[in-house]
Amino acid sequence: MNRAVNQAADQVPLGPPAAAADGQWHRVHPLTPAIRSWQIFAVLLVYLAQDFGQTALRGDVGDSPAGQLSKLNGRWLAGGGLVALVVLVLGLTLAYLSWRMTRYRVTADALELQHGVLSRRQRQARLDRLQAVDIVQPLLARIFGLARLTLEVAGGGDSRIELSYLTERQAQRLRNHLLAAAAGVRYETEEAPEAPEHLVFEVPLQRLVGSLLLSSVTVWLLLVTAGLAVSVVVFDRFEFVAGVLPAALGAGSVIWRRFSTGFGFRVATSPDGLRLRHGLLEQRTQTVPPGRVQAVQLRQPLLWRAAGWWLVEVNVAGYGGRQNDEKHTDAGLLLPVGTRDEAVAVLSFVLPDLGVTDSEHPGPVVDAGLSGRLGEGGFAASPRRAHWIDPIGWSRNGFRVTSSALLLRSGVLHRRLDVVPHARTQSCGVTQGPLQRRLGLASFALHSTPGPIRPVVEHLDTAVAARLLEEQARRAQAARAAAGPERWMERPAPSPAPSAAGGLQQPAEPAEGSGIE
Amino acid sequence: MSNTTGATPGAEPFEPPGVTWNRVSPRLATVRRVVGAVPLLLVAVATTVAAVLLSWTWLLPVAAVFVLVAGWLSWLVGRQVSAIGYAERGADLLVRRGIMWRQIVVVPYGRLQYVDVQAGPVDRIFGIARVQLHTASAATDASIAGLSPQEAARLRDSLTSRGQAQLAGL
Repeated sequence: MNRAVNQAADQVPLGPPAAAADGQWHRVHPLTPAIRSWQIFAVLLVYLAQDFGQTALRGDVGDSPAGQLSKLNGRWLAGGGLVALVVLVLGLTLAYLSWRMTRYRVTADALELQHGVLSRRQRQARLDRLQAVDIVQPLLARIFGLARLTLEVAGGGDSRIELSYLTERQAQRLRNHLLAAAAGVRYETEEAPEAPEHLVFEVPLQRLVGSLLLSSVTVWLLLVTAGLAVSVVVFDRFEFVAGVLPAALGAGSVIWRRFSTGFGFRVATSPDGLRLRHGLLEQRTQTVPPGRVQAVQLRQPLLWRAAGWWLVEVNVAGYGGRQNDEKHTDAGLLLPVGTRDEAVAVLSFVLPDLGVTDSEHPGPVVDAGLSGRLGEGGFAASPRRAHWIDPIGWSRNGFRVTSSALLLRSGVLHRRLDVVPHARTQSCGVTQGPLQRRLGLASFALHSTPGPIRPVVEHLDTAVAARLLEEQARRAQAARAAAGPERWMERPAPSPAPSAAGGLQQPAEPAEGSGIE
Repeated sequence: MSNTTGATPGAEPFEPPGVTWNRVSPRLATVRRVVGAVPLLLVAVATTVAAVLLSWTWLLPVAAVFVLVAGWLSWLVGRQVSAIGYAERGADLLVRRGIMWRQIVVVPYGRLQYVDVQAGPVDRIFGIARVQLHTASAATDASIAGLSPQEAARLRDSLTSRGQAQLAGL
């Protein structure tokens, strides 16, 4: 599947060998095994504590004589200690071996990683296929000044390359090189130049906390707590509390995760794309290059409407598709909570050209997408008869086609606006259930790469849906043909002069490979 | 670009103009009946036998229900299979299915990432295969079951070569 990964390292480096891209094999930081295996220590601790607790409990319950008891205790402890020691030694040996066997290499246009003790694995990623680069610092790594570098290339399932751990400095240098190489920038210096960053805004802590307080999870939690309090007072029984506790804990952990992810959220722009920094315990710096965003969603839960807050998420190939992986569930988050202006600004960073005609400003169109109804802003909306199926939301179901993107609008209570560039449309489809059929309605769906966004517009008139389906496939084709090169800094000058770098460049899409393999 | 409000009334998304649909083999219905309805019939037979042997007459209506469900399933499967259609157009592949819940998918060849051809043991006995298209989106639900192995191979090669010719990245 992942040909880029399987390819042998037979490519000759194009540019002058730079420090970051020396083509030599490197090891990751020697502290890596310690940081990686802290879980082993944690497990050991838990085990010991449990063991201790169990023996203590036995002591409480058992009615054997005291001497025998202490002997038993001692034997238990000795056994537990021995097991713990063996586990510790084994774990450390494995971690050390795993470190010894892990090495990586950077060339001008690929990143290679070899790892695995028993079964060796080698993975090579072509940098022009790079989708995003993240630097992640879990708490422990941060204490030691280390960081993990994650390179996303879009392959089916798990296609990313993770280098853990590097020093912060190494990670940054490497990221700069990867981005420069992916962008098609050639540099003569020792190190890849760091793209200048321009901080656009950060999410204030108060707003983050406010947004979490105004979330449905919080409301649910409050309702349950109130209900519990009432039931305790009325029935004088505490059993309900135990019954609801797991769910409440789950809700609490959701809130905590959102808080720790959104903490200190900063959005910056750079020629390399959007830079996001966030995280309380685990700090994450994400770089999403231009043109890698497959779909954008701006949405506003009902409770945020008074405050005028919006949330922005994106689909980036490589980020999605592993919803089970807790580490990456929030990877597509572009703005946890922001004002309407900020949300629109973020939208314009990732999709600079909304393709609205010259006579029109994009403002009203986006506004109509965010809060408009029916035909406002040139949207094509659901016909009135759709209210039989969708009594509340029907008036906001709609779409708008511009020359570069499709805007899909939905939700009266929970407002949503999805924007999908034509060049990123994978395929599209129309579905129709029996009720819709009777009413002459059909739903249109765009298929985007895996991620939080599934762009759909429900209950369109069948004729409108038919035409949209017909035209969207054609538009996607045309837009893709006209899209810029994969290496975003190699954008040709407005004049059709031959590019200066001569033979270095390949066509935007080399014929032998497609975006994902 | 204009929006699409001015579509001609009566246009059907599931019947694009100028498309001739390829049907899949009716053997697919047989396979699905074998997999779906035959076990039910076997259960019905077993129930009847038990009813007769143990003279539990109340089991007979249960057996009748099994037979009815099996009959309904095999009727449904026949309708479903006859509703499956696909068409290769110049730039994209159309796949449609469903009678109650209808669905049509348009996959531009340039978006094709890879093509799967699968045939399970029962499929092979009846000589059919399934072709599945994969784009970068997991939501692309474009699979065509019930093709003859030759047609499956032809479609696979045709799709792959068109995909090469009209290749577009992500």
